Amino acid sequence: MKKTIYYIAMALVLAACANEESTLDMKGMFSPNGETVNARFEQSMAYNEFAGEIHMNMGTDDYTVYVCTDSHITRKTHRNLDYFMAQYSAAEGPKLALHLGDIIDAQKNFPCADSILHTGRTKADTIFTTPGNHDIYFKQWPIYREFFKTGIYWFDTQNNGKKLDLYICLDTAEGTPGTKQFQWLRELLAKKSTEGYRRIIVFTHTHFWKLDASQGHTSNYSLEDTYELAGLFAQYGVDYVWTGHQHARQSVIYKGVNYLVLDATKDEEKGQAYMIVNMGESAIYRYINYPTLD
Amino acid sequence: MKKKILFLALLCPLWVLAGNPGFGDRRYSISGLVEYSYNPTWGHHANFDVQSLLPVNPYLEMEARLQFSTANVHTGVVQVRPKFELPVGELFLETDVLCKLVARSRMTDMDVALALGYRMDYVSVTLGVFSRVMSDWDRDWHTTDSYMVEPFNLLYRLEVFGRPQNNPWNISFLFSNVDDYQIERMWQPLFALGAWYDIDDHWRINAGVQCKPTGMFHLDATFYGITARAGFSYRF
Repeated sequence: MKKTIYYIAMALVLAACANEESTLDMKGMFSPNGETVNARFEQSMAYNEFAGEIHMNMGTDDYTVYVCTDSHITRKTHRNLDYFMAQYSAAEGPKLALHLGDIIDAQKNFPCADSILHTGRTKADTIFTTPGNHDIYFKQWPIYREFFKTGIYWFDTQNNGKKLDLYICLDTAEGTPGTKQFQWLRELLAKKSTEGYRRIIVFTHTHFWKLDASQGHTSNYSLEDTYELAGLFAQYGVDYVWTGHQHARQSVIYKGVNYLVLDATKDEEKGQAYMIVNMGESAIYRYINYPTLD
Repeated sequence: MKKKILFLALLCPLWVLAGNPGFGDRRYSISGLVEYSYNPTWGHHANFDVQSLLPVNPYLEMEARLQFSTANVHTGVVQVRPKFELPVGELFLETDVLCKLVARSRMTDMDVALALGYRMDYVSVTLGVFSRVMSDWDRDWHTTDSYMVEPFNLLYRLEVFGRPQNNPWNISFLFSNVDDYQIERMWQPLFALGAWYDIDDHWRINAGVQCKPTGMFHLDATFYGITARAGFSYRF
């Protein structure tokens, strides 16, 4: 009898957590939220093959990258993401923008996100995204795909045929790259690291290190993944790893790789900021605070 | 003097060994275990474990463990455990030093943990903190980025036994972020089932299986790794 009451109570709690406005999908604590990372890899690769490679001709060696993460927008609140896009649109010169995941909160917010980001992952796009854990809650990966097409891909920047920088997007929405993505990453880095790129940048959602109390509420990778990815990045000369997820900025260098974690873009959160990187002979980054309402 | 103490501390584990003889029956012992393990990152691999236990006196015991892995990741652990008998159960303070040579990624992971524990016949609970330093093998004189320090993290361990711990056979369930050869981050729990059976007064069979999910606190949990182990202990 006690067991029955317990199971019913648990079912009610989980059901209550799963309403449309919920931001957390508690069932995900015990089982995958739809497709696992290996399935998402297959779907992303299928799209990549269909769409072809993306080479962005910047027309110059110097350009600007706007980076934001963890906007957690809903239909009701997306002030910071609006601001980020307004700044990006107004910026002059060659540029591209990255969103490092957790674009939305809750459910049914992807149309709103898409109307702000205006990306359809076509060759003309200059805005690139990676899925975060919130983006795939409530089995929303198919909806993510509908708008952003793929979660695992690479593109490069060039100056009229001269290779500049390589960008690799990883899907770490569930805290592990998975077998297939690992294999793909190994092969890609082995091949691309010999092609004379100025820099290699990896961007993904989940951060790598647990350096201070700012990460109290966010989980990251298993130790095996941490060792392996850190070793792989160092072995193939990755210069930067840009991540989000922990909602607090951080910069640390390990094994020659600069790991940057960004503040969140979420409205009503302390320390909201995005990052602007001037990519030239050197890469110079700075954090820009979002304007506060008061 | 310090060097002598360090030398003795390192030597002790080599001849005083053990698995986990159990609360209430702590004897000098040595154990050997073989493990099959799989995770998506390192694939299928085998581990070979040697473990030792030295109960120094009724108030202090030490453990030492070595693991060699075909994944080219090798681990050594030394554990010092002062303990205090209570009217019911036993209180203990656990100090762990774990060194993992991650040769495949050319780095060392060194962890130091301090935890307070309480065990009774059917349950054992441990709660503590640990610090981690990962160091790069490829550093040189001019390198300034050789270390990655994770200064503060939580350690927890809950083990429930099917029989009293001095029973000749037992089964156990473990929920923890630490096991004999790893100290995971606090959001990366491990689940394990264990068992032992005493063949006679000296020989014991140990067996267990451990499951490691990932992404539980990403709220997108998936199966990550499994380890199955079996071996013998000889208790002196």
